[in-house]
Amino acid sequence: MVGLSEGEKHFIRGGIAQDIRTDGRKRLQFRALSVETGVIPQANGSARVRLGATEIIASVKAELGKPSILHPDKGKVSIFVDCSPTAEPTFEAPFQDVLIPGRGSEELSTELAVALQRCLLGGKSGAGAAIDLSSLIVVDGKVCWDLYIDGLVVSSDGNLLDALAAAIKVALSDTGIPKVNVSLSAANDEEPEVDVSDEEFLQFDTSRLDPSVIFDMISVAKHVSQQFIGVLDSEIAAAEAEADE
Amino acid sequence: MEYVNPLTGFRVDGRRPNEMRQLKAEVGVVARADGSALFEMGNTRVIAAVYGPREIQNKGQQVNNKEALVRCEYRMAEFSTGDRRRKPKGDRRSTEISLVIRQTMEASILTDLMPRSQIDIFVQVLQADGGTRSACINAATLALADAGIPMRDIVTSCSAGYLCSTPLLDLNYVEDSAGGPDVTVGILAKMDKVTLLQMDAKLPMDTFESVMGLAIEGCKAIATYIREVLLENTKRLEYQRG
Repeated sequence: MVGLSEGEKHFIRGGIAQDIRTDGRKRLQFRALSVETGVIPQANGSARVRLGATEIIASVKAELGKPSILHPDKGKVSIFVDCSPTAEPTFEAPFQDVLIPGRGSEELSTELAVALQRCLLGGKSGAGAAIDLSSLIVVDGKVCWDLYIDGLVVSSDGNLLDALAAAIKVALSDTGIPKVNVSLSAANDEEPEVDVSDEEFLQFDTSRLDPSVIFDMISVAKHVSQQFIGVLDSEIAAAEAEADE
Repeated sequence: MEYVNPLTGFRVDGRRPNEMRQLKAEVGVVARADGSALFEMGNTRVIAAVYGPREIQNKGQQVNNKEALVRCEYRMAEFSTGDRRRKPKGDRRSTEISLVIRQTMEASILTDLMPRSQIDIFVQVLQADGGTRSACINAATLALADAGIPMRDIVTSCSAGYLCSTPLLDLNYVEDSAGGPDVTVGILAKMDKVTLLQMDAKLPMDTFESVMGLAIEGCKAIATYIREVLLENTKRLEYQRG
């Protein structure tokens, strides 16, 4: 990434003081957001979100699994983030025997995934979760739905967290969980037979997922100096330079 | 399984044996890359991004300082295949395909015009439905052209197979996993040279000639399409400049 000169940093900070950013936006203005659903036909739900030049593709896959012993009445959701090297050359996987300056995308992917997990699934006790896990249960204690949410960063131009959160929200609202018929004739300790319907789907309930909560919470947490909501990479550099002084 | 219907001659997805899947290409999809392209062959969707020529990041990798260093990484998204994959990078197939794409593109790039620099080609598979290798090479060609990197010729690639005693062009995933032969060819279109040739399973030699010939026909058709896309892109850029 090309560094910024003192003159450029001064110019950016001066502009911000007058409520004008380098791309002409106001301080509290988001970039144009465009959303597309159903981009991955083989997934249960998918979305492609573009926030300016940042592009994220999110997919949701549902598989049958066993609920955890601690929460037998809840399904499971796991969130993974993959930063593709197409977005940034530093996201390339480092070779084992050669030292490459970039660490690869492992740290960033993990950081983003954990932040999203905390946002969407709440803290340890499940408090503050945006997704209702009990809607994913099929047979209490035996069969539940496992949702695997994958976010792929195709193009990175700042504010990955908001774009990822938006993409996941849209993908979840596009998700159809297949209808299941459970045969109740099985004995209590046996694995019940579950017949997964190929035809019928139930729309996943995302009415509790409030995107504005995700946007504001994440953006404010990331920026200490001023109330920015949309971010460009040059502005991150200027804010970091100010913190160093 | 009936890969070619004996009565109608149609394949499992309704194509004729010598019919390629629908092609769709878009240039300039990743804003920050020097060059990028999205390439679709039927349900196989691939994004390629090129960063370069830029300064060599790791002097240790540089073999010849009179030529540019070409590097390539192939990645599959976790949602790209029917069953969710774990560990989409670093597995042997990805490493092998990265190598194959690198060697294929290196044959065409005029590396001696850019000494002491490196060119990175990153290919990301969004949807895999057979022929990912070929789609990646085609996408990489478009991305390199978009980046303005000098090349000898357009590199295109296509696959062909042989099932139910019929040569089939551009196998999809179902046909590919049938266990029959799978020939992947990469050519330099105008120069009429073969730069990549890979095959699985076995074929009698004269059948191989016809299957390879079919794949080369496919490559040439893709080259015509790619040329159209690049021409349109250039016209659009020209128009934007005023």
